[in-house]
Amino acid sequence: MAGAAKNEPGRVDWRLAAPLGFTYLAFFAAPLLILLAMSFAADDRFASFSMDSWVKFWGDPFYRGVVYDTVRLGMVAVLATSALSYPIALLFIASGPLVRKLLIFIILLPLLTSVVIRTFAWIVILAREGVVNQTLLALGLTSAPLNLLQTELGLVIALTQIEMPLMLLPLVTVMQQINPSLSDASRALGGSKWRTFFRVILPLSLPGWIAGATLVFASATTAFISQTVIGGARLVYLPSLIWQQSMVVFDWPFAAVASVTLLVAVLSGVMLFSLLGRFARTT
Amino acid sequence: MPEISRRKLLQGAAALGAASALPASMARASGSLAAAIYPGTWDEAYRSVVAPLLAENYGVDVDFDPLWAVDQVTKARAGRGIAPFDCFVLDPGPTAAAREADLFDPIDASMLSNAGNLPDGMISADAATVNVQVVGLCYNPTAFPEPPTRWEQLFESPYVERLGLTGFQTTFGTVSLIEMAKVFGGSDTDMEPIFAKLQEALPKVAAVTGPAGLPGLFQQGQIDLMYTNTNNVATLKKQGVDIEFMAPETGAITFSTSLHIVKGSENVEAAHQYIDTAISAAAQSQLMMPPYNMIPVNKQVELVDTLYIDSIDDLADMVVHDWNVINPQRAAWIERFNKEITK
Repeated sequence: MAGAAKNEPGRVDWRLAAPLGFTYLAFFAAPLLILLAMSFAADDRFASFSMDSWVKFWGDPFYRGVVYDTVRLGMVAVLATSALSYPIALLFIASGPLVRKLLIFIILLPLLTSVVIRTFAWIVILAREGVVNQTLLALGLTSAPLNLLQTELGLVIALTQIEMPLMLLPLVTVMQQINPSLSDASRALGGSKWRTFFRVILPLSLPGWIAGATLVFASATTAFISQTVIGGARLVYLPSLIWQQSMVVFDWPFAAVASVTLLVAVLSGVMLFSLLGRFARTT
Repeated sequence: MPEISRRKLLQGAAALGAASALPASMARASGSLAAAIYPGTWDEAYRSVVAPLLAENYGVDVDFDPLWAVDQVTKARAGRGIAPFDCFVLDPGPTAAAREADLFDPIDASMLSNAGNLPDGMISADAATVNVQVVGLCYNPTAFPEPPTRWEQLFESPYVERLGLTGFQTTFGTVSLIEMAKVFGGSDTDMEPIFAKLQEALPKVAAVTGPAGLPGLFQQGQIDLMYTNTNNVATLKKQGVDIEFMAPETGAITFSTSLHIVKGSENVEAAHQYIDTAISAAAQSQLMMPPYNMIPVNKQVELVDTLYIDSIDDLADMVVHDWNVINPQRAAWIERFNKEITK
């Protein structure tokens, strides 16, 4: 059988994938099933099963609001990183090799520091006595320091910077492969700069954007540290709710419901982005 | 093609996660034990003070597993009978929860040579107190030359506008909010008054955050007033932060931190030797010094002046709480705090 598989072109011997496959089965699929079972358990000892935790979670407008806020945060982060990434990506493809190297270094730089440090750096920047407020006060643009920490705006600003490389890297990789003569042709045929961007560059860069959007969405919705430290306790998102319910309250079934919900929410977002890609390619 | 790079990224992350989970349980050998320890100051302190003394006195090696109290209890519960480490270090809330979940093995006081140097009651059938924490108000003396002296003042101008609030996730947060409830006519079974006050104060307070966020916000001048334990104050002060501690008029709060032997531990003798070393005068007198600032319980230790307490006898006048009363209500308080303070 193995010999036959080897001779058939396009078929891969499954045994090569077996070690990782079985590891995933044992350490990913099985715990996931336990998590799912836990969400229907009455307590953490699986003594009996009930729908109580699901009813409590989805029957309460507060928790539905938490799900909505979490997904919305991911979407806003995608929008913000997209808006800021395209200009940089355009600059990148228009530049020579030296500038490209410099840009890649600048893009990668944030990834070289821990997310905890980047998050704390944003506290220093956004605090009442921080750089932003001191500048605004000095310029006379505001008379009292703005409250940027502990707000959704502050969190989005920080997440945009923290997640930016995840959007930029795939985008730049894909846009690098776009044949420059296509935009030249568009321009030569009388297309404006904007028209060229929207009709030529944007559609061709979509695979890169989709990969970036997927990463940013998945990362922003689950950014426990940034959400807790910059968002503070008044903004509740699913990751901190899960931590609280499992670690402080010990309500594991409820935490399991929140975890499954977060998983489904992130997967839905990811699927939405890949659907967008298919839709865009067929039209 | 970008799809593939995403998968690779996720696989890589999963592999890293799996790898980091491996070594902890494999690093155990005979003549040694694994002890959970709070991350940060405690981890640093026990590694540099207790571990060398334990090796010197008993020839026992200790591996530390840095975990917060709640995480230790969660891990032990998840182990379902298989001890993930040999010793807990816990605050009273998690202690009560762990005791209820039957996660302790007994402690034999006759195996602790230093047991006699601790005040009565600090060694029980399943717990050995290693230090006490003192909780009260702390403030920026430059911002407030006249600091608040009572809990209720936190909700008055000009203090409320500079206050950093934290909820029921930590021991110090929980007991502080209970004391605030008391001054407004509530009790540890009636938190209604403090929830009403919190609602009123919310639009005005400088920050509401998780416990880990408070020191950073204080350091950055985002808040000038918070409630926390003396260890945090001493640590911040050492870093040059403008901060002072103040016991409220109704008294500072105290609670003890204790070591316990995890049910099913296979290193019971080493665990006792570890506990005995931690409560010894030699260890306690070093743990009391900056940067650790832990208030000792061993009566042979003479207190230094950086601890905000003059003698161990002062503890008798401080406020204590019954966690058997608090624990059953805590989940509901946390849920209510979440709901009412969320924007």
